Amino acid sequence: MTAPLLEVTDLCTYFEARTGTVKSVDGISFHLEKGEILGLVGESGSGKSITGFSLIGLIDKPGRIVSGSIKLDGRELVGLSEPELRKIRGRDIAMVFQDPMMTLNPVLTILDQMTMALQAHERISDADARLRAVEALRKVRIVDPELKVDFYPHQFSGGMRQRVAIAIALLHRPKIVIADEPTTALDVSVQAEILVEVKSLVAELGISMIWISHDLATVASISKRIAVMKAGKIVETGLAAKVLRTPSHPYTQSLLDALPSRSKPGQRLGAAASDHDAGSAAHPVAATVADPSFVVMAGLVKVFEQKRGFWARLSERIGLVKSKKPVLAVENVDLTIAKGEALGLVGESGSGKSTLGRIVCGIYQPTEGRVTLNNSPVMSAGPQSRKLTTNVQMIFQDPFASLDPRRTIGQSIAEGPIAHGLTSKAEARSYVAEWLKAVSLDPAFADRYPHQFSGGQRQRIAIARALAMRPEVIVCDEPVASLDVSIQAQILNLLLQLRKELGLTLLFISHDLSVVRHLCDRVAVMYRGKIVEVGTAEEIFDAPQEPYTRALLDAIPKLA
Amino acid sequence: MTLSVEKARTSSDFWAEFVRHPVAVIAAVILLVVIVLAVFAPLIAPQDPYDLSSLVMRDARRAPGYIGTGGYTHILGTDSQGRDLFSAILYGLRISLEMGLLAGAIAFSIGALVGCTAAYVGGRFEALVMRLVDLQLSFPAILLAFVVAALLGQGKGQLIVALVFSQYAYFVRTAHGAAAVERNKDYVEAALSVPMSGWFVVTRHILPNALPPLIVVATVQVASAISLEATLSFLGVGLPPTEPSLGMLISGGFQYLLSGRYWISIYPGVALIVLIMAINLVGDQVRSQLNPRLKR
Repeated sequence: MTAPLLEVTDLCTYFEARTGTVKSVDGISFHLEKGEILGLVGESGSGKSITGFSLIGLIDKPGRIVSGSIKLDGRELVGLSEPELRKIRGRDIAMVFQDPMMTLNPVLTILDQMTMALQAHERISDADARLRAVEALRKVRIVDPELKVDFYPHQFSGGMRQRVAIAIALLHRPKIVIADEPTTALDVSVQAEILVEVKSLVAELGISMIWISHDLATVASISKRIAVMKAGKIVETGLAAKVLRTPSHPYTQSLLDALPSRSKPGQRLGAAASDHDAGSAAHPVAATVADPSFVVMAGLVKVFEQKRGFWARLSERIGLVKSKKPVLAVENVDLTIAKGEALGLVGESGSGKSTLGRIVCGIYQPTEGRVTLNNSPVMSAGPQSRKLTTNVQMIFQDPFASLDPRRTIGQSIAEGPIAHGLTSKAEARSYVAEWLKAVSLDPAFADRYPHQFSGGQRQRIAIARALAMRPEVIVCDEPVASLDVSIQAQILNLLLQLRKELGLTLLFISHDLSVVRHLCDRVAVMYRGKIVEVGTAEEIFDAPQEPYTRALLDAIPKLA
Repeated sequence: MTLSVEKARTSSDFWAEFVRHPVAVIAAVILLVVIVLAVFAPLIAPQDPYDLSSLVMRDARRAPGYIGTGGYTHILGTDSQGRDLFSAILYGLRISLEMGLLAGAIAFSIGALVGCTAAYVGGRFEALVMRLVDLQLSFPAILLAFVVAALLGQGKGQLIVALVFSQYAYFVRTAHGAAAVERNKDYVEAALSVPMSGWFVVTRHILPNALPPLIVVATVQVASAISLEATLSFLGVGLPPTEPSLGMLISGGFQYLLSGRYWISIYPGVALIVLIMAINLVGDQVRSQLNPRLKR
């Protein structure tokens, strides 16, 4: 057997912080064969991205590679000078990042950026560079590459942009492509397309790839071999199928257990069979449904007028350009949620599901139609009297953005209840403590600021804030989308438990179908502003009627 | 995984960063000394420039070091009315700081509130307010201040109105810019969905988060208010002649500048420059620390 293409032995990358040394990558060893896709899995902070950056020598101060070796085709990369590394970067090892909007320069056309990348490593005329660029775009299956090559990044959709980023990475026919969470920011159906294309590209070009992701399912579907990272160490390596079926390390097992798709709906995630909840039937709350039309959305329409400046309006008026159509975000939606029910709302980004959620809790006013709760309107009409019920509360996707950074979490939780007479200023402390305890946080945290908490803790705080208003309905807008899988499991468990204890009615918005299946009794599928299918979770997932629903379900990456 | 490390912004971190810049520290010390001198002027100054009975015409226009009828040395000389310049400058700094800080604080409050409210309300109201502000910003501040001061006449209150009127627009613009960013953040929507009142959201959520750029503008505007006040007093539309304003002192010595009696204009001028430079240098440092984009 010949030596592997890339051999990493005992690699250590440390960061010197004021508080001490952070061992981001702590003695890892792995190898990569020619034409192979290696999956690197781990949660955020496990060191998987730092591993990727170490391979291409892009570790910034205060970090540095402390020891170990990286051998590419037998050549040692650790200790190479920056000019030498620059020759390797892009030509031999290329990188694709998570967010193509951040890595593509918004003021340069795709052609400009590709020409620059090409001319960095070889002498090539502009005309030849154009031919190569068109060819590269064609390879990643972009339609009309001759035309699209002159586009700017914003003219592409998210999936297309990631294709462009991959095309740039492939320009020099590198030996290795490192892809760092390349599909995390994409919709599930777009992700499915890219996964298939990347797989065939790798086979066609004979390159090797390291696919870094937190998502076990995508990694399993693209790579033969995977390595699981935890706290800077590789805890398990092996064939994907084998690792996922019979994990040997407890951490891998716990990662698998935390996946909603692997456990019974309604059951606590990551719980062993002996757990006291495990015996309870699926959807324990569904039986208590009393009022089938507790929340009613009737004929909801939301139109967003395009904002136009003075010149745009003027040139429109004199007929220079065609007028922009207003965007129809929500189109004639009729939905009901029963008391105590959890309704899942699924769809791709841009389908209008977040807009619908914001109408239900009264952040947006519908253009037409109304939302009623227990037969009284959620928001009384008229732009002047914004009288909004406190009975509907919302939990947002990004727990970093949804808490005011300049107020203590105690202030954030207490402000609503004080304003609406649920507690007094004098009793606010104990009131806040009570709700912090309800979401399993230390009541002493009340005086701290949001930046002192982790993502999972912040989401608990956001839940406490919503609950402190004693609502009957909670709208959850992708509450676990930005969290690691094990944290996600904790938050889902918390929501399940709270729903049972407090008899909450949930509108649960998510693009992640497995999460929805786990938590919801009924599911509504939304596509381009319309509800295309509504049914019980079993109906939707086991016997989808609409072709769109079926396509959405097929796009979910499955574990071996 | 992204590599963004969120920096905990505490006040102790802020000072630790601040003291690492010697220029800013020196400027801060000078500013502190000037403030102490100004505040305790009645205790430090050998003469009370407001007390007309203590002025002796025989002492007028004496060079620094002259020992006058009062029996003490005029270390910076005397002006054309026999006032001790050192005492007059101390009282002048007092007036400058008073005018600058008062006008700055009022313009800050009005600007912050109007800017944040405009960003929160949006629509026609926002457009109207911001176009008015744009219109006003297209005139030089000195021109506006001059016109208003000339219309209202001399006096401290009138001068403050003139200064506020010529400066609030800068605060509105800055506050609006910062608040428009905060307006669309999730935490504002979260507060609105509770629902919290619009007033609460503007004053407790949007305003505190829009403060850092406003503080930066404030340091610049206080310095510029001080120089505006001096300019207006120099031109004779600011404070009445009874007030020993720095601008007034400079203009009083102006006619003697070429006849060798330099000290009457030069020393108040130096005091004014030192004060404004100290404020601007401290302000620069605050700006580079509050604006993450200017960090290396």
